[in-house]
Amino acid sequence: MKLKRYLALTRAGIIEALQFRLGSFVIVVGNLLYLIVVYFLWKAIYASAGTKVVNGMTFSDTLIYLVLATALFNFMEMYAVWEIGRAIQSGKIVLDLLKPMKYRTYLFWSYSGSFVTNFFMTFLPTFIVVTAVTHGAVHLGLNLLCFVISVVMAIIINYSIDFIVGTICLYTESIWGINIMKQVIVLLLSGATIPLAFFPDGFRRAVECLPFQSIYNAPLSILLDADPEPKKLVTTLGIQLIWCVVMTVISKLFWKASLRRITVNGG
Amino acid sequence: MKRNGLGFYLRIYGKILAQDLKSKMSYRADFIISTIGMIFTNISGFVSFWILFRSFPSINGWGYYEMLFLYGFSLVALTPVQCLFDNNWSLRQYVYSGDFIKYCFRPINLFFYYQSEVFDIKGLGQLAFGLGTLIYSWTKIGLGFTPLILLKMTVFLITASLVMAAMQNAAAATCFWIQNSFYILDLVTRFKDYAKYPITIFSPVFRFIFTFFLPIAFIAYYPSLVVLRPDEVPLLSWLSPLIAVVFFWLSYKLWMRGAMKYNGTGS
Repeated sequence: MKLKRYLALTRAGIIEALQFRLGSFVIVVGNLLYLIVVYFLWKAIYASAGTKVVNGMTFSDTLIYLVLATALFNFMEMYAVWEIGRAIQSGKIVLDLLKPMKYRTYLFWSYSGSFVTNFFMTFLPTFIVVTAVTHGAVHLGLNLLCFVISVVMAIIINYSIDFIVGTICLYTESIWGINIMKQVIVLLLSGATIPLAFFPDGFRRAVECLPFQSIYNAPLSILLDADPEPKKLVTTLGIQLIWCVVMTVISKLFWKASLRRITVNGG
Repeated sequence: MKRNGLGFYLRIYGKILAQDLKSKMSYRADFIISTIGMIFTNISGFVSFWILFRSFPSINGWGYYEMLFLYGFSLVALTPVQCLFDNNWSLRQYVYSGDFIKYCFRPINLFFYYQSEVFDIKGLGQLAFGLGTLIYSWTKIGLGFTPLILLKMTVFLITASLVMAAMQNAAAATCFWIQNSFYILDLVTRFKDYAKYPITIFSPVFRFIFTFFLPIAFIAYYPSLVVLRPDEVPLLSWLSPLIAVVFFWLSYKLWMRGAMKYNGTGS
């Protein structure tokens, strides 16, 4: 049974993640601080704007969006670039390649454990608090189901981008620089730091043609839209699906082509 | 030859620096990519401001150029921390593996020797970007240019640097007591992203916290007021150089205290 070996990796990941409880605590404190800063910043911004609604978003819309974007980030961020980069530098990659499973699949499933723990430890609590505090600003209905589907695709797109960037490390042997570039681009262009609705028109249209907005903007706008037009919903999910396939194929082909380049110092 | 004078330490620093640069230069691609990555981060901060100020004319009475000034100020002030104290990031690995013991056997100041070992050149990219932003906003606001203002600028930039360095030292030093200080170091590093906002956007409680408990406001806000708004300089701004020195001294003491109680790993 194929799924069973994947789930074994998931289980190992969960156990590993639960070992670092102090780390999770500090992450929670860090997020709280971040959210405090975000709250006051946008409050000041809206107070200065003078109007309640800016670019079709109210203050609470923006806040819910940004809070959930942070939660989503903590839940999806995998540091796969670091993992691949370090494995290449240390030579551990050779052992991973010998495993009776494709490296790309192996890495994904070994991260799946942290998806599970992060989902229950950060995303779900945040979501419940936000829903409770805002009294129905988050619509609970069919959009939740679409949101889940959308997040799964977002995870796959995010992983593929990570994997492509990690593969680049095979050529450059530089991890920090490559990773920070990826992170900055993804966070800004996906709408995780500022909702896409605030982007100037031309810039936004350009960003919408890129895969990044499918990672944060797509699932969050599906979740926050209480009464979605079916056409819009299908388009959003459809674009995500297309990016999902495209990025997966690119990352697979790129890895396959690059694998020959691996040089590991003996020992 | 005096063994503890400033000249002695400067000469040693020069020698260690030369060695470090030589070893860095053997990974030229990594250096270039890291510098580009650094500049990417800074550009993304710049673009965020640009996007925000497209939708909103001002934030809490702070205009676009004033915010850019704060941002540029914080970038320049962070350069010494980035360049000179970067070895703090490796401290936990040295402590964990036991390699830290080698620093304990040198006949020079332990803290100095440890920090001098790494000079992070990619910080210079940030310096260039920060200076550019600072000069751009400076001319747009029309602050004028006199020897006095230059002197003020230098003093208060050093102030801000000391505060950030103090926070990073203290965060890194926690690894002497707890095993994994990465999360704490990471948390403190994220503070610098919040430093670019004026402290007045927060409620009084958080203004107090961010001034006295987590001195984020001293990284850019209080020191830059002296130059940016010379008519309404609060007392805390004038006191900030003193506070910065005290903070730095405390962090140094904490760091040394941790190092002194270090027992090695026994191997």
